[in-house]
Amino acid sequence: MISTDQNFFQLFDLAAHFEIDADALDARYRELQNETHPDRFSSGTEQEKTRAVQLNSYLNEAYATLKSPLQRAGYLLKLQDVEIDRVSQQDLDMDLLMEQMQLREKIAELPNDDSALPELEKMKKDVLSKLEQQREKFARDFSAGTIDVAKRIFHEMQFLHKLLSEIEEGEEHRLGY
Amino acid sequence: MALLQISEPGGKPAKPAHRLAVGIDLGTTNSLVSASCGGKIEILPDDDGSYLLPSVVRYRADGEIIVGNEAKQSAAKDPGNTIASVKRWLGKSQTEIAASDHAARYQFDPDREQQAPALVTAAGSKDPVQVSADILRSLVERAEACLKGKLEGAVITVPAYFNDAQRQQTKDAAQLAGVKVLRLLNEPTAAAVAYGLDSKEQGTVVVFDLGGGTFDVSLLSLRQGVFEVLATGGDTALGGDDFDQALADYLRARIDKQASEEASELVVLHQYANQLKHDLGENDSVDIDFNGYRGSLSRAEFADICEPLVKRTINTCRRVLRDAGKTTEDIDNIVLVGGATRMPVIREAVADYFGKAPLTDIDPDKAVAVGAGIQADVLIGNKSSDDFLLLDVNPLSLGIETMGELVEKIIPRNTTIPVAKAQEFTTFKDGQTAMSLHVVQGERELVSDCRSLARFELRGIPPMVAGAAKIRVTFQVDADGLLSVIAEELSTGSKSEIQIKPSYGLDADTIEQMLQASHEHASEDRDIRALREAQIEAQQIIDAIYAAIDADGELLEESEKASIEAAIAELRGAMQESKPIRIQELSEELNRLSGDFAARRMDLHIRSLQGESIDSVEPIGK
Repeated sequence: MISTDQNFFQLFDLAAHFEIDADALDARYRELQNETHPDRFSSGTEQEKTRAVQLNSYLNEAYATLKSPLQRAGYLLKLQDVEIDRVSQQDLDMDLLMEQMQLREKIAELPNDDSALPELEKMKKDVLSKLEQQREKFARDFSAGTIDVAKRIFHEMQFLHKLLSEIEEGEEHRLGY
Repeated sequence: MALLQISEPGGKPAKPAHRLAVGIDLGTTNSLVSASCGGKIEILPDDDGSYLLPSVVRYRADGEIIVGNEAKQSAAKDPGNTIASVKRWLGKSQTEIAASDHAARYQFDPDREQQAPALVTAAGSKDPVQVSADILRSLVERAEACLKGKLEGAVITVPAYFNDAQRQQTKDAAQLAGVKVLRLLNEPTAAAVAYGLDSKEQGTVVVFDLGGGTFDVSLLSLRQGVFEVLATGGDTALGGDDFDQALADYLRARIDKQASEEASELVVLHQYANQLKHDLGENDSVDIDFNGYRGSLSRAEFADICEPLVKRTINTCRRVLRDAGKTTEDIDNIVLVGGATRMPVIREAVADYFGKAPLTDIDPDKAVAVGAGIQADVLIGNKSSDDFLLLDVNPLSLGIETMGELVEKIIPRNTTIPVAKAQEFTTFKDGQTAMSLHVVQGERELVSDCRSLARFELRGIPPMVAGAAKIRVTFQVDADGLLSVIAEELSTGSKSEIQIKPSYGLDADTIEQMLQASHEHASEDRDIRALREAQIEAQQIIDAIYAAIDADGELLEESEKASIEAAIAELRGAMQESKPIRIQELSEELNRLSGDFAARRMDLHIRSLQGESIDSVEPIGK
């Protein structure tokens, strides 16, 4: 039986690296769901049910964290006792920051109807490909042990994600949600 | 003989006898009940062999509650006492309900405004939970008659996009009907179970569920018996009803307006629109002949009328795909569920968007109930759960209010449940000993644009400098999608836990009271009798006062007359709203107000008879 004392990587029998085997993650997830899902304890005691809800919630959080590259990166840093909740300016590349601001202004200036959608789509592709590059860099620096650099890249990834969700909100807004 | 039975945690208990559990699809327009019969899930029919129970309840003045077809047929005859589509009102405030299209023909109980909004019927005030409970009770009776035994539990389906208040009220209704809820199951997930277990398909499937009053889209991955919902989205105020309404509005604009303002007329027009919609499913064009108006309507014209509604459904699909990080090419199949997906206009729009024709070989009316029945059978312990496992998500983001009335999301939408998230907070003033938390549900940034779920206060924080106290708040969403919140102060361990109750839900006491009332069927008759008696007595008092004013009105000051008239108006209001206790109170009040007047009349008449002075007469009062 798994335990909430295990860290997320231990839970999934995975080494604590940024690059992980997604299929192994999924397979182990289904296996652990079968063991811990509250439905498996529907005729169990109240204690068993409560325990199942706790374990299963922990499993779900672990899976969601490892599945998302951004969250996985943050979690790896946390395991190294790196403070990631605070960001200072020297943590960031100023050029990147400027570029972000310009992109943000550009989103705000786009027409407020669905004619802006193709442009938003294009911006999204750009951000996604940048994210991909950052992920590769993070993996390299983290495994090389240059944690300071890895932390900076992590924060840059956070900014890119924020930008991505702003683009998506812009799309939703223009689709009339 | 076994001396000891050792059960391992997670181990399977000894196989018990077959226990009766049902799946219930509590729909906006129709409801169904299913159960396992000889290893197969069957939809249970009523005495006449019909499977669909129209979700319509009629409350008669004699206290009889009629559910289903008979009630549906009397809707035009008795619109004010016949409640349809009540599911659309679950978890809603009175303002929201009154704003809905089909609320015009009902009257709201002003006394109940603050709690669950209630409608005035001939059998007293009824709120959406009570009406839903009456539908559930009818389904349970049907099941118990079919299965010849007492039910031990039910899985009840809800739209995936139902919020916490709507889910809680569905549970309340079940409790009121005396049904143990094994699980609230999302409708598209239920349909996917029915479809997936039947077809043994593996892959990525979209369930497009357009029912009578609600719309859901869920994207699931079906792999090795694990049904994993990747994302869900929808609109709890969009369904086949709205297509009827759009068509009815279109017709109304062309028909004599005067004649179509009456409640009963609106019902008839709505039913006519519904019929036209059905006919258009089979014909390219239909003739219109209504109240002297003649014309025709083609599928293309109908598609134009419904275009905004259809667009909303497709936009929802788009959003769900995005939430799941999928594109239309990733989708292996689209399953249509809900009677409203029979409309060609929907099928075409879905095929167009996904680039492939949706599957239509499952019965869209029955799939949800069948899936619920399968899950019920597993949860009650009849069936081995090794066959499949359901992993569902929370449909709406949960957050808390922060400075500036902004929402900070704690659990984003489409997170797999159960889920627990802890967040730490601190004090912002020196010596602050209490902190209030406001939990909201929704996707918007401003608190006022989200639905308020609960406000609560954490007291007993030890006084410290600002920022020193650490308060950890844990949000736990269970497998039914319901939220509870635990707050603890980390330095002292002071802890408070609340189960979120929706703003318009019923508290436990109210449910208990209602339960008692519903168990004692005899008391219903008593209530009706009490009402009749109070109404008759009140009418006698009113008649007597009017007769007295006619005869001796000059004995009344204008202000006295005005207050008596106001009291009469209030009493008449209570009589219409069928509230026996209020009628009695107001009757007494009216008696008291008119007491002086009665005494003066008495004096006058005695004096005129005997020519004596007031002082020598014994005081006579009522």
